[in-house]
Amino acid sequence: MAEYLTISCLIDRLAAFFIFIVSVVSISVAIYSLHYIEESSSGLRRNLFVPFMNVFILSMILFIASDNAFSQLIFWELMSLTSFLLVMYHYEREETRKSGLFYFVMTQMSTVFLMLAIIIIFIATGSFNLTSFNTLSPALNAAVFISLLIGFGIKMGIVPFHKWLPYAHSASPSNISALMSGVMIKVAVYGLMRYVLTVLQPESWWGILILIFGTASAFLGVIYALKEHDIKRLLAYHSIENIGIILIGFGLYLIFSQYDLTALAYLSLAASLFHTLNHAVFKSLLFLTAGSVVEETGTRDIEKMGGMVKTMPFTAGLFLIGAVSISALPPLNGFVSELMLFLAFFKSFSIANPYINILLFISLSLFAMTSALAAACFVKAFGIIFLSMPRSEKARQSHEVSRSMLIGPGILALLCIVLGVFSYQIFQFFGYQAPIPNFLGVTLVLVVFMIIVIAVMYRIANRKSREADTWSCGLTSLDSRTEYTASGFSEPILTFFKPIYNTRKSIERNFQDKYRSVFKNGKAEIHVMKVFEEKIYLPIALFIQRVSQKVSDSHNVDMDTFILYSFIMVIILLIVVGWIL
Amino acid sequence: MLSFSAYFFINTVFVLLVSPFFLGLIKKVKAYMQRRHGPPLLQPYYQLGKLLKKETVYSVHSSFISRVAPYLNLIFLLAASLCVPVIFVPAANFGMGNVILFLYLMVMAKFFMALMGLDTGSTFGGMGSSREMTISALFEPIVILVVAALALVLQTADIHEMFLITLNSSVLSNSILLLTSVALFVVLIVETSRIPVDNPETHLELTMVHEAMILESSGPNLALMELSHAVKNTLLMALLINILIPWGLAPSLTLPGCITAALAFLVKGIVLAVIVGVFESLMAKSRLFNLRTLFMLAFSLAFVTIVFELLL
Repeated sequence: MAEYLTISCLIDRLAAFFIFIVSVVSISVAIYSLHYIEESSSGLRRNLFVPFMNVFILSMILFIASDNAFSQLIFWELMSLTSFLLVMYHYEREETRKSGLFYFVMTQMSTVFLMLAIIIIFIATGSFNLTSFNTLSPALNAAVFISLLIGFGIKMGIVPFHKWLPYAHSASPSNISALMSGVMIKVAVYGLMRYVLTVLQPESWWGILILIFGTASAFLGVIYALKEHDIKRLLAYHSIENIGIILIGFGLYLIFSQYDLTALAYLSLAASLFHTLNHAVFKSLLFLTAGSVVEETGTRDIEKMGGMVKTMPFTAGLFLIGAVSISALPPLNGFVSELMLFLAFFKSFSIANPYINILLFISLSLFAMTSALAAACFVKAFGIIFLSMPRSEKARQSHEVSRSMLIGPGILALLCIVLGVFSYQIFQFFGYQAPIPNFLGVTLVLVVFMIIVIAVMYRIANRKSREADTWSCGLTSLDSRTEYTASGFSEPILTFFKPIYNTRKSIERNFQDKYRSVFKNGKAEIHVMKVFEEKIYLPIALFIQRVSQKVSDSHNVDMDTFILYSFIMVIILLIVVGWIL
Repeated sequence: MLSFSAYFFINTVFVLLVSPFFLGLIKKVKAYMQRRHGPPLLQPYYQLGKLLKKETVYSVHSSFISRVAPYLNLIFLLAASLCVPVIFVPAANFGMGNVILFLYLMVMAKFFMALMGLDTGSTFGGMGSSREMTISALFEPIVILVVAALALVLQTADIHEMFLITLNSSVLSNSILLLTSVALFVVLIVETSRIPVDNPETHLELTMVHEAMILESSGPNLALMELSHAVKNTLLMALLINILIPWGLAPSLTLPGCITAALAFLVKGIVLAVIVGVFESLMAKSRLFNLRTLFMLAFSLAFVTIVFELLL
């Protein structure tokens, strides 16, 4: 047995690509953390925090570099444990303890499913090696795929296994959120890609299943993000959305390969991988800058922020770059990968299978809506956090963060621009002729227009300007209570998608007189139902609780009965062993 | 390269020159429909001239967004204008013709306009941004599907190539494009903030969307915003015109070809502007939450185009 339990490494191009993602993000997060951890409390905890973070990063890299399933499992578990400890950093807070436990349970479930898949492989082939298994029977092949999809899916946070993301990301320190959202969920993407691309034999329905999961995650992720006012939860829901987009690309790749559309298949795979990199870069950028804002204001509620572009101009600028990038706007990197997906979709109608056509059609529509909703969400996030007037005293008194907390995200912001502008050249360098516009040219056009417009306006327009109050319909002055709020901003979208949110409005009114004409008091509430928690998670948890209650009841007996149990067990074992031998 | 440089210059200048005229014409048509004389046809030009001469007033609450957004708006729309050939189609376009790029350059302009709405702390601005982004998000799948239908029928995702194909074949050979054109017309109405989606004439809080976002801009900044809006209108009109009736568009750079193309585009643009004006006069402003009907119409037209193209 022992000869199987080895730890060995192999780094091919796929692994190297993902190790690159981990490294780039980790470097920036490390620079950011230099000052970030200074601001938080006790010394001992800080001293433990740093090694855990390093072990966490190392375990992710080693998971990716692992050559066999056994060492993968070990580093996977190490990654889960260290990340759990890091999430529990503020363990004195009730909220953190709850979120941490939730995360722990989900992450262990993910390991259980991975273990199941790996055990099936081991039993069928007698080895932990990750070489292609032509020997696996179709049924086993499918079983391995399903349990891998669930196992990695929990870690990626695809709908309906996504609930841990908003909890864990909002409770943990911001640099850890950046690492978890930027990198850790990508490690799960790597795992899935590794097994599906090189180990298993893909079947036609795999791509369809992944596409469905991807589309659902992308759409629901952004829909839930829109209703959030907690900045870190909002970003966490966007991670779910972007994982969805990555899976859409991967699903398209599998579908196209089934139909031998090689060019399209490579386009979708390239889009999927490129979006993985892009999302790692801009999401950690957003989490880091959001972390600075949270640190300054002491709250994660964006309704209590505002006007911070004046007190924290550099952080605001960096956040804006991330926001433009995640909203998929040209010429930054987020746009390039989504453009590639759109192009793949446009050419996909040549598949002569009406069911797949309909699926692609629905997927395309939802994907288009997703990217537009993301833009709406980030207009809200940037506008409410940074623009107009401060909504709280702390936001008014905030000031710019220290240099290392700008350099870390600054590197990522620069990458957002470079990966977008030079995308065509980057693909070319790695030997892939991507059918996308040359964004260097597009940027040049933009720069030329910028020079022309500014020069012309400088010549012909009146350059005088002065400042005055915003027009306030006759009020003497505006204050922060008259500003548009985040809830107000997303209200129309919430109303349009009421069935998805399951919003319940309750209005209670009391009157002075029995004719109900003189209003005394009342209250109105809007509840957004937590569909997944109330309909899926809780019933399962309650069921398991009931079963374990039964089991523990039956254990809670006197000595005689217990001896009887053991006796029955021994007899059963004897029979089973005798039957097998 | 030479062809592209000439294209860069001619296309941009022509679009900038004619854009305010079409807006003035639509206004005039609407005035006639209401039995008024309306402002002179060249009023938008006078308006721009007047605004350029005025000083800029910024809100005390505003930030750099209010200062750069008008410029960015025009810059991104001018870049988008290179995606849509109005006079002639350049020999090489360096990927500037990509239809998704065209759409998202316009979204980029919209993104900064929406931020500008939130910048001043005025409730109107926030309301406008919120509604604009909502409409944009709900309308995005339709725009993408219309474009997907075009890409499927014409077998290319490059607007320049699309125009060359429609130019070389009569519309009857691709009669399915008639359906897509109706959808494109709806895109034109929605994206340029016209009745029934938005009312460009009003400053009434209940109805304005686009106007609410630019309510606080003034002087040259307002001129830039107005001009970008006019450019966007022309671009979407040009897209519809050159897909449906591209006659006159020069397939390469020649002087007589360019003159004919400019005249032909003006005539077709005038006809389309009159249609838009009449359409707007016949419709009533719809409630924001009742827009589904119009959106579903465009959606189903694009859907039908794709289904027909796949079946036939």
